[in-house]
Amino acid sequence: MDKKNNHLSVKEKWEKSVSDIVKRFPERKQKFTTSSNIEVERLYDSTVEKDSLGYPGEYPYTRGIQPTMYRSRFWTMRQYAGFGSAKETNMRFRYLLEQGQTGLSVAFDLPTQIGYDSDDPMSEGEVGKVGVAIDTLADMEQLLDGIPLDKVSTSMTINAPASVLLCMYIAVGEKQGVPLEKITGTIQNDILKEYIARGTYIFPPKPSMRLITNIFSFCHDYVPKFNTISISGYHIREAGSNAVQEVAFTLANGMAYVDAAIESGLQVDDFAPRLAFFFNAHNNFLEEVAKFRAARRIWAKIMKEHYQAKNPKSWKLRFHTQTGGSTLTAQQPDNNIVRVTMQALAAVLGGTQSLHTNSRDEALSLPTEESARIALRTQQIIAHESGVADTVDPLAGSYYIESLTDEIEKEVTKYLDRIKEIGGAVQAVEEGYMQREIHQNAYQIQKDIESEDEVIVGLNKFRQDEEVEPDLLKVDESLEREQVESLHSIKNNRDQQLVDKALATLKENARKEDINLIPAILDAVKAYASVGEICNVLREVFGEY
Amino acid sequence: MGKKIRVLVAKPGLDGHDRGALVISQALRDHGMEVIYTGLRQSPLQIAQAAIQEDVDVIGLSSLSGAHRTLFPKVIEELQKRNAEDIPVIGGGVIPSEDIPYLLEKGVKKIFTSGSSTSMLANYIQDLIDPKVETVAAPKKIAHIGIAVHSIDDALHFYTDSLGLQLEGVEVVESEGVKVAFLGIGESRFELLEPLNDESPIKIFLDKKGQGIHHIALEVDDIVARLEQLKANGLPLINEKTKEGAHGSEIAFLHPKAAGGVLFELCQYPLEVKHNEWG
Repeated sequence: MDKKNNHLSVKEKWEKSVSDIVKRFPERKQKFTTSSNIEVERLYDSTVEKDSLGYPGEYPYTRGIQPTMYRSRFWTMRQYAGFGSAKETNMRFRYLLEQGQTGLSVAFDLPTQIGYDSDDPMSEGEVGKVGVAIDTLADMEQLLDGIPLDKVSTSMTINAPASVLLCMYIAVGEKQGVPLEKITGTIQNDILKEYIARGTYIFPPKPSMRLITNIFSFCHDYVPKFNTISISGYHIREAGSNAVQEVAFTLANGMAYVDAAIESGLQVDDFAPRLAFFFNAHNNFLEEVAKFRAARRIWAKIMKEHYQAKNPKSWKLRFHTQTGGSTLTAQQPDNNIVRVTMQALAAVLGGTQSLHTNSRDEALSLPTEESARIALRTQQIIAHESGVADTVDPLAGSYYIESLTDEIEKEVTKYLDRIKEIGGAVQAVEEGYMQREIHQNAYQIQKDIESEDEVIVGLNKFRQDEEVEPDLLKVDESLEREQVESLHSIKNNRDQQLVDKALATLKENARKEDINLIPAILDAVKAYASVGEICNVLREVFGEY
Repeated sequence: MGKKIRVLVAKPGLDGHDRGALVISQALRDHGMEVIYTGLRQSPLQIAQAAIQEDVDVIGLSSLSGAHRTLFPKVIEELQKRNAEDIPVIGGGVIPSEDIPYLLEKGVKKIFTSGSSTSMLANYIQDLIDPKVETVAAPKKIAHIGIAVHSIDDALHFYTDSLGLQLEGVEVVESEGVKVAFLGIGESRFELLEPLNDESPIKIFLDKKGQGIHHIALEVDDIVARLEQLKANGLPLINEKTKEGAHGSEIAFLHPKAAGGVLFELCQYPLEVKHNEWG
């Protein structure tokens, strides 16, 4: 051994020998990066500060929000479903519950999500297409027929008219004789990401934020087990953001809701324990695992240090995960089963509370029953066969995972500072800041795919000629007509005076900023006023975005 | 080059997914077009009116909600009502392939499905509106079939003796490191390719796959224009520029992954040779 190299550590010697090898046999790429452009080193070594990790169930929850995680109970397997009529969707729900699914998740059609009745001219061609069409309480009664609301928790992907659908759900619960305090579930109710990424907004931001804080307050008083919001990074990621942006913009939106609720007079610990989050699981496996861990740690610090929340429940970031729809390819759709498996595994290793696994055919249409079953089975295999659920936070201590977790936290914090400078998430949304950041990243991804810098198997590499199309689920074209007819029959048979009175009260209350609108909406819903009628009253007062 | 091509990118109906529409808008701008994006939730009437007002050359519709069967034909109807059916309408998004014939029958010019590249789309629009590059004629015939052999001397007797073909000549092509024997067959030829050194692509081929068919050469009229067109369509090429081949020809190879594993060569002969050889 020569003298010059004697002082080098074992690692430095290794690095030196590797650098010689790399000169002769170059690596696959000059530079390796994650989806968020974090540079990936050849090898990670012990740099972890154990103290920042903490323990599961303890602040800052890097390692999970419960002390035993999946050793006590698996995550909730919650498949998003809904298509066509309430009756058909009800049948799919019952089927999924029989197959061992443990929670329901309702997809609504676009007219429902944007507050139009099925007979509105704007609804043409859209009724029942991407989810179930709900016009009045009668549809909701049919949707939940035979499903005990005290035993099953339901997640509803509804935002701008979330208050209306929540009231319908409560009304069905009352009819089933379930006390309000026993009703559990989630409404998405996250309007900021609609402006940023998903597009189903109705009203301008300010009155929209009022509806959200009205729901927080009403549920705190009467429906304490309901998750009043699911602050969603899912759609931000689908719109083309990277992992860091997904976490940063979601947490920034979360802070905006907390600010709005505090401003409306609520105490942080009154509503923060009911805040839930919703993230995406994409392809870069280890970055995704680290992302979930980092998000938990950042949110805990924000709630404890910035908002001075006292209740540990307020510090915990609970989240639902869905595998990444935009990662699925229409080409060779069976490959999607493998992608979904990896993504689902990342979510589980990241400590998710509930999970939706996409079906292989979702790049082509709504899933068939067979595809939906395989997706659910994927979760069951991970839970029961893989063994990853048998210990808490199994990847902790991996040099790479911990280093990435730290790096993501650092990058997210930079974005949060930037948004704070702009004046908060609402202001940043109105200025289009987040939209621009996401769009730039989406365009870069497209260019990388077209130049094959990023390989998508079956899409830009390893292609094959395909002729066979899988079975696709088609929504019957006659459904729109039937839904419109049933709406008309309900409108003809209800007590119109009661409806008019309820809508008039709602309008009056909407004009006064300090009145909580939920009781008036609940009365209107119970009188069988339609989603469109209720939203139109609010459109008159609030205007449209 | 005349005025810029103007494109209206529109989202009909209630679908809020505009990642694709935004990415395509920017890609078309990068290709030198002017793009007007309508934003979300446009009715077919609004889209037709915007197209006429903005005097666009083409309308691109994007839908991911499954409402395309209703909404795309409606846009065309609204254009017809306003005597503007000459504005071509193309579409994309999540469109199951069995819906495509229906939409084409209703007057949609073309549907781009998931996985289409943005440069393919830009070229399609360019050709649709301003076909400045004349569509290049299809190759006229197989110029030759190239067969890799270890030794021309060993291989030749099968062709000349067993098959009775005529040996037309032997030539060394320095640029490829090969010696080539030409054997006429009808209006085409076989070329036996023997490597001259270890760097020769033929040597590499022989080491990997052994003797056998190496490539198929297609004779074309305007090799430069054709290469440009293929390149613009995103087809993988081995040679983006032509190089010198045997008999003073200009040649270029396409990448085998463009053609399911078959190596194709394009070649163009100088006029006088062509006359001599093929009369």
